[in-house]
Amino acid sequence: MQRYLNLYGAFLGQQFKSYAEYRANFIIGASSTIMMQAANLLTVWVVMQQIPDFNGWGFSELLLIYGLITLSKSINHMFADNLWTVGRVYIRSGQFDRFLVRPIDPLFHLIADRFCYDGVGNFLVGVVLLGAALAGLDLAWTPLVPLYILLAVLSGGGIFIALNLITCVTSFWIMDSVPVTRAIFDNHLFAQYPLTIYPKAVTTLLTWLIPYGFASFYPASYLLGHDVGVYAWAGPVVAAVLLFAGYRFWQFGLRHYSGTGS
Amino acid sequence: MPAIEVENLRKVFYISKKDPGLAGAVKALFRPRFDEKVAVDGISLRVEPGEMVGYIGVNGAGKSTTIKMLTGVLVPTGGTVRVLGRDPHRDRVANARDVGVVFGQRSQMWWDLALVESLNLIAKIYEIPAARYRELLDEFAATLELNELLSVPIRNMSLGQKMRAELAATLIHEPKVVYLDEPTIGLDLIVKERIRDFIKEQNRTRGTTVILTTHDLGDIEELCQRVIIIDAGHIIFDGPISTIKDRFGKYREITFEVAAGAARLELPAGADVIAAEPRTLALRFDRTQTTASQVAAAVMSQVDVRDFSLAEPDLSAIVKQIYNGALQEEAAA
Amino acid sequence: MISYLRRQASIYGAIAASVPKRFLAFEIWFWVGLVLGAIEMMILVFFWRAVYGQTATLGGLSLDQTLTYILLAQVFAALADQDLIWEFGYNLREGLIAHMLLRPVGFQTNYYVQALASLATRMIMQLPMALLATAAFGLRWPTDLAAWGAFLVSALLGYTALFFFHWILACLTFYTTEVWGLGVLVYGLTRFFSGGLMPLAIMPVWLRTLVLAIPFAQSLAIPLNFLSGITPVAEAPATWLFQLAWVIGLGVVSQLFFRVAVRKVTVQGG
Ligand SMILES: Nc1ncnc2c1ncn2[C@@H]1O[C@H](COP(=O)(O)OP(=O)(O)OP(=O)(O)O)[C@@H](O)[C@H]1O
Ligand SMILES: [Mg+2]
Repeated sequence: MQRYLNLYGAFLGQQFKSYAEYRANFIIGASSTIMMQAANLLTVWVVMQQIPDFNGWGFSELLLIYGLITLSKSINHMFADNLWTVGRVYIRSGQFDRFLVRPIDPLFHLIADRFCYDGVGNFLVGVVLLGAALAGLDLAWTPLVPLYILLAVLSGGGIFIALNLITCVTSFWIMDSVPVTRAIFDNHLFAQYPLTIYPKAVTTLLTWLIPYGFASFYPASYLLGHDVGVYAWAGPVVAAVLLFAGYRFWQFGLRHYSGTGS
Repeated sequence: MPAIEVENLRKVFYISKKDPGLAGAVKALFRPRFDEKVAVDGISLRVEPGEMVGYIGVNGAGKSTTIKMLTGVLVPTGGTVRVLGRDPHRDRVANARDVGVVFGQRSQMWWDLALVESLNLIAKIYEIPAARYRELLDEFAATLELNELLSVPIRNMSLGQKMRAELAATLIHEPKVVYLDEPTIGLDLIVKERIRDFIKEQNRTRGTTVILTTHDLGDIEELCQRVIIIDAGHIIFDGPISTIKDRFGKYREITFEVAAGAARLELPAGADVIAAEPRTLALRFDRTQTTASQVAAAVMSQVDVRDFSLAEPDLSAIVKQIYNGALQEEAAA
Repeated sequence: MISYLRRQASIYGAIAASVPKRFLAFEIWFWVGLVLGAIEMMILVFFWRAVYGQTATLGGLSLDQTLTYILLAQVFAALADQDLIWEFGYNLREGLIAHMLLRPVGFQTNYYVQALASLATRMIMQLPMALLATAAFGLRWPTDLAAWGAFLVSALLGYTALFFFHWILACLTFYTTEVWGLGVLVYGLTRFFSGGLMPLAIMPVWLRTLVLAIPFAQSLAIPLNFLSGITPVAEAPATWLFQLAWVIGLGVVSQLFFRVAVRKVTVQGG
């Protein structure tokens, strides 16, 4: 574990050197993710100026949900963005063979090979949203609150990473898994709003099948004092189970890896 | 314990077939169909520590596929592989510490990083002790002439520079077994020479076992005592180079420079004229039936010879002959 | 003259015909596109239903009017899409720009024909979304032919204006290697400012003024206002004239930008 942390640091340091050359790109990349969020947020803000509440949720409460999902997403975006392109970039070009002849876990190697600076944009948006939400709400502040938020964001990040991991394994068979990953990933958009606005089927989907609900709605509900029962604390378990399943599936896929010709 | 032990190794690729267009895609979704491609078809071999083995064959014969199974990149469809006593796929991490691979023109370095930074990172990955690393870096920089290249990013290197860097990166953790899949592809003669010397040196001083895949038989002649020839996934020859020359170099060529051509020549049995021009005369003879001196004597007694030369048996000519199916012919005879 | 026109028509016809083929090459994206479209449509519908939970009208629009507008915007989302930035970026990276400049066809015309063809292809591929909107969310299609006419003309004008606008933005790819970021940035701006997420009528005045001052809304919100009955057809001629002004202005500017940008390639060698 210690060894992997050291290695991650070394990878990160080296990337920083090559990134320095591309600073303008970094700024554009990070601000582009901010832009994407701004479109939705502006919509929410405009309507919330004109209505008393949104399905029983106030503006700050919506921001809390939105901030949590954005932070969770940013964890995935910063640390595990390579899962998106393992097929397109690494397998197709044969670079992936390299990871397999090195004495470290190839999944670690893949993930450490790129820290995605664009994700920092998402992270900052998430922090600002969360800050704005907390400023607008009057929560009963106990030391537990920040800890709970941290736990929620980390398990949300774990859920994002696990779902991307599971879908990216398909690239061992179909070479480019981006469409598959995208089809699952986009379901997180549901979780930018309270799940109470959707029909039962959507809520079930986002709780049991593609459980992005645990990255935003359930922890936000708990913080706001709504009764969501055990769902309030299920996030870390869901994340752990999914990550474990994802890793096993990855190993299964690895046995079926057939590389590229030549 | 042998360095490499392979028993009845097979690899089958399944290539999905699908009709063009949307309809084809939908059909493929519900009823996928596959073509089977047997890339490696039951090969067995044994390589002792310190051996340098040339692994050759035509394009698509299955060389790279074999190497990928030996390195643990691909899981065999059938058969067993042992490298230094381990299953390279199951014990991938342990195996990786002891082997090094060059995959043709595919670099293992980080494109944007200076060479020395790539090497530093590799040293971390392989956990090479700092002092040992420094020592080896100095040694490799000297023998591969990398000193001016250390601060150059890989993306700015020429092919030859890249390959020298690649070799340093592959051998810096002192692997016991090294696979070189076309390490000299596209290189000029001088770089080739330097790379061959380096590999020879590593083998001599450290006892590194080397499996070398190449289309340049010069590499093989320089480096290997033993050659394995693979064709369509089968091993068709495995033995010392000298055996190939003896067994398949049945014919030799002798060329005469003559004052004037003769109308008809009386030649010993097994010798034929393969080219007759006004001033030169080329003959080919079967070494099992006659000798060079008999042929030369016969020609000199009939025409005025100014000079003559005997061609060395040429490995690439022989291998070409084998690729063309000489072996099957011999087996049939 | 006639034969010249015919020859030109056949050249550009071939260019246009290549576009649907390219889309089909990514057939898995076709299916995924439907999933993504369905997700987005669902979110928007339930979002707006929740918004109207406490109020009967918003910006003078009823829930029905807003939903009609939003669903139509989803069905006609292709009107807001342009690929020029990615195309330019790709061609530059692969060193194809010089190649394309050498072809005996008008450079910008070539791309305009491609843009129209990809609009048509996307529209056809959006048909399942139209079905979904109708069957699942009860979209009632307008029956007023005049509204359709006003919409079509306005959409074509707006799409052309947007094409020139994107052309100007695409010229920036000559100066940055971060094409992906630029593309996403513009995509994000388009998302909001095209008016696909929210009818312009609901926006506060200052925001609506801003939206109308930049070109993004010209191809989606403005034509859709006719189709969804928010803007009366009587205002169509004035709107068309206004859009025509956008087309001409942006067209001229786009030519200027391109001339400067291309110098970067021809002088500095890509
Ligand atoms: N990932 C793959 N999927 C499908 N077929 C493959 C794959 N890799 C290799 N093949 C096929 O297996 C056969 C053997 O390929 P291999 O790369 O081992 O040949 P090779 O001997 O290394 O040839 P070369 O001299 O051209 O490098 C070829 O017919 C090739 O097309
Ligand atoms: Mg090969």
